[in-house]
Formats: sequence, C-alpha cells, structure tokens
Amino acid sequence: MLRLLRSELYRLVRRWMPWIMLGLIVVTAFVFYFLIWASITAQLQAVKNGTIPAPPEGTAQLTETLRQIAPNRVAQFGVGIVAGLGSVMLIVFAASHVGTEFGWGTFRTLLAHGASRSGFLVAKTVSLVLYALVFIVVGTLAAIGASYAVSAVAGISFGTGVDLAEVARVAAKSGYTFLPYMALALAIAVWSKSAGAGIAAGLVVYFAEGLVATILVSLNKDYAQIVNWGLSRNASALTRTVSGQAGPTSQDPTASTLPDPTRAAIVLGVYCVIFIVLAYWRLRSRDVTVGG
Amino acid sequence: MNPTQPVMLRSYARRVTEDQVLRTKGLVKKFGSITAVDGLDLEVRRGEVVGLLGPNGAGKSTTIGMVLGLISPTGGTAEVLGRDVRVRREDALAGVGAMLEVTSFYPYLSGRDNLAAVALLRGGGALARVDPLLARLGLAQRGGSKFRTYSLGMRQRLGIASTLLADPALVILDEPANGLDPAGQREIRELIRELAGENRGVLLASHLLYEVEHVCDRVLVIKKGKLIASGTIAEVTRGGGNYFEIVIDDKRRAAEVLRGLGIKEIREMPTGLDVVADPTHGAEINRALASAGLYASAIVPRASSLEDVFMELTEPEAPSAPPAS
Repeated sequence: MLRLLRSELYRLVRRWMPWIMLGLIVVTAFVFYFLIWASITAQLQAVKNGTIPAPPEGTAQLTETLRQIAPNRVAQFGVGIVAGLGSVMLIVFAASHVGTEFGWGTFRTLLAHGASRSGFLVAKTVSLVLYALVFIVVGTLAAIGASYAVSAVAGISFGTGVDLAEVARVAAKSGYTFLPYMALALAIAVWSKSAGAGIAAGLVVYFAEGLVATILVSLNKDYAQIVNWGLSRNASALTRTVSGQAGPTSQDPTASTLPDPTRAAIVLGVYCVIFIVLAYWRLRSRDVTVGG
Repeated sequence: MNPTQPVMLRSYARRVTEDQVLRTKGLVKKFGSITAVDGLDLEVRRGEVVGLLGPNGAGKSTTIGMVLGLISPTGGTAEVLGRDVRVRREDALAGVGAMLEVTSFYPYLSGRDNLAAVALLRGGGALARVDPLLARLGLAQRGGSKFRTYSLGMRQRLGIASTLLADPALVILDEPANGLDPAGQREIRELIRELAGENRGVLLASHLLYEVEHVCDRVLVIKKGKLIASGTIAEVTRGGGNYFEIVIDDKRRAAEVLRGLGIKEIREMPTGLDVVADPTHGAEINRALASAGLYASAIVPRASSLEDVFMELTEPEAPSAPPAS
C-alpha cells in the first residue's frame, strides 16, 4: 500500500495540473484582493468627484467592504475566496486524478504490475486529501500575503494583524467541506471510467443541489428536514459557523434552518465514506479489460 | 480433424515441481452468454518460452487477464508461483512481469519516470534497474523524453522494460513485437530467448507465427477459448510436418488410390490433394497413381510450418452440408 502511495505521489508532483492549480489560486487571491481595492477605491473617488451620485446610505458600506482587505479579516474574506474557487478546482482535480487513469489505460498497467484495487483507491484518496491540504494552505497563505500587500498599497491599517489560529480553523473547516464533493467526483469517475463525467457530476451537484435546497427552504421551511441531509446545507452549516454571521452564507435567508454544525460534520463525513465505498465496490467487481 | 479435441499428444512431461511458474486448471470465463475461455489448462516452467496462439477473439488476452487478476474467472484456477491469483494476488504477482497488448503509460512522464513510477510500486531493488533496463531495451538515449512522444515501437520496448523491473520468475508478453520493425522484432526474439536463459518462464501471446516458431519451446493453440492443440513446435507441426502436395485433376479417384496405399491423412485442396506421408514415399505414390491411369502434374514434398498448422486448426468451420452421394 505504501509503495503504491509513493508511486502515486511521485507521479502527482510530476504532473502539470496540480502545479497550475496552485499557481492559479495564488494569482487569483492577489487579483481578487487587488480588484476589490481598485473597484471600491474607484467608486469612492467617483462619489467624491461627483461623477456618480452617492449611495443613499452614504459611503459607509463601501468603506466597510474596503476594510475586508485588512489582514485581520482574512479568516472571513480571504479564506472565503480560496473556498469559493478552491472547491470547484478541487472537484475538477479529484475527477481528473482518478478518471485519467482509465482514459490513459494506466489503471490496467498498475494492476498488471501487482497493484491491488483497494490499494489504488486508498492511494488516490490519500493523495487527494494531501493535495487538498496543500492547496488550502497555499491558498490561505496567498490570501494572507495578498491582504498585507494590498493593504500596504491602499494604506489600510493592518489592525491586529492575522489571527493565524482563527484562519487555520476556518480554512480547515472550509477544506473539510470540499472532501465529500471530491469523493463524489472520484466515485463518479470510477463508475464511468471518465474524468469528464466525474467533473460534470461533481460540479452539477455542487451548484445545483445548493440552489435547489435554498429554493425549497425559501418556499417552505419544513423542506429543511429533507434538504438538510444533502451536501450543500451541511457544508453551509459548517462554513457559516466558521465565519459567523459575516460569512459567505450570511446573505442566505434560510440560514436559520441550517443543521447543527456537529451533525453537519458527521453527515459530510458519512457522505465521504459512502462515496469511497461505492467507488471501491465498483472497482473490485469490475473486469479490467482494455482501458480499465 | 476435430477442432474440439487437442490434436497433439503432449510428450512434455507433466511433472509438478517448483520449476512451474504458471499453471491454470479448468480456467473458464463467460461474458454473459459468450464463453471467452472454456476450461483452459496451461502451464509454464522456468527456462521455457510458451507461445499462446489463436485467432482474434480466441481468448488469449482474456486468459492473460485472468492470470493477472484483472479479470475474474467464472471457473477454474490460475496459480502463479504456486499461489492462487484469486486468493493471494499481490504475492503471486510479485514474481510476474507483464506487458499487456495495449502498452499504456503516463503520457506526461518520461520513459524513465514511467519506469521509476512502476519501480516504486514494485519496491525492492526495482528502482536501481531502471537505467540498465532502458539501456538493455535501446531506450537510453530517449529515456528522458515524454512517453507521449514515443513511437509505437518505443512504447513496446518500454512495456517490455517494465516487465523486468521486478526481476520476475514469469514474464507475460502480449504481442510484444507490435509496431516493431524487422530489426526490432529480431531483437525482441533474442531478448525473449535471453529471458528464458535467465531461468525465467515466458508466456508469449503473438500473432506473429514466425516469431513464435523461432522463439517458443512449446505452443498452445486456442480457438473460441478452448485448447485445440499443444506441444513442442515439432509436435504441433507433425514432427517436421512432412506432406506431399499433389496437383491432379481427378481428386476423388486419386484419393481412393492413395487410401489403398494405407495413407490416412488426405486433404482436398483447390488444385489437388495434400497427403501426409513419409518423404521417401514420393516415388511409390507416383507409381500407384500412374498405374491407375492418373497422372499428376506435380508431386511436391512439403514441410508444414506453424502457420500452415495454425491456419488449418483455426480456420472457420464450414457450414455442415449433406454428405456427397
């Protein structure tokens, strides 16, 4: 098992995709911070010059948004950026990480060289979790760096600076919510022997399930009893608690019906197990002919 | 010839010793209503090269898949180095190097990195064998190039190199000469003999009958998943395979005359008859035909090649017709 994991990591670090994704999250963090600062500053300047009318509530909200750039807000704002983009990127990566083995026919090659099916799945899962961890750490560090850099350029006070413990806690909880989506993408890729199908299914569930759940609960709060067993509501419950009322779901009018965070964590964990077990069940029962 | 029965007796001794690196017994694989492999028994010993022959769809790759645990048998057993593949697959395959019909590696990795990735999976001293094997297979110069830039022949060489990383007791090669030029094919033939010389057993599935004839100690011919012939090359080709090709018009009468001489194996061909007989009997055959007023345009002594026998054994069965009156 460990030999297979070593081989897996050897191949992983030599692939372009994971490095490109890490580069992308770093660049995105800086660009996002810069764009927020640039657009808010431009709006404030335009209001000041009279080019555009001042908002009825004054410029306080714009100023407040500008303060999100400060290092002491990284736990809410910076990690939110990493979580928003990261979840999509990691779903794509998870499906690709497994699905390409079938497309390239290398799954068959690995088995022919003595790898076990369970070992293959464990190595894939562990390497995915490790990569997600690295991705979150790099993305969060990039967000911290961007926050300091843009704050310095904008002349925004660093305040109390970054609360590293809080940032780590928020990032860890956000990262945890990615795992069931990654496991789902992995399972679909195994079942369909296709990276594309894994990506499509993962993204559809990620976006559509949350939307449908929100609509249903908006229509009738009793629907929360049902949709709170889905992925998105439990993920929201965790991310909401990590960022408090100012977090990414603070605009959600159905937030009061979100499940308990502890229960949410357990449900997401159970989903991970279910998806991995389903993937294994399919993998072990399948005859591996050409391709995989 | 009844294609459902093995036609050759096995002179090969059926000793069960530690030399045996592969043995299948009653191996069966059904895909729905289709029986791809039907009760196949085969064995490979250290130091010998066994050819697995059969037309497309005969079940060669399915058999190899079952030996490697890629495909679950419907019935029977496959033992590698005395270990049942279904029960102790990883232990069994630790001593096996296998190259599948379609050579697949990671396109973004170099040839060297692909071998290293397999070597890490294999463990032991496999990593140290990467560069020597690249050199042995003539890939040392291109070891750093991405696999996706490799020609078909280079891919095959890399596949063969990967089989040797684990210093295996059993090497399984499925169409290893695919895509190789004649010089490359010759190199592979020599390499296969070297492998046997290193006391490894080699199972070679190939469509290239010339390759099999010149490399294998024994051959197994399968058709529709069933073993229809097995033995040494000489046995399968009828001990050198002597027969006469007789070009003659009246095939029916000629066949009657030859049966009168005690000749049993007579095959009707488009231009005459093929007659299995000792090469010294040519004059006798000629005399008997002439005495009966039958004059052959030619009586040519021939030796069966493996290809002749293969074609004969695996030719599609003709639809049954009513007996001639």
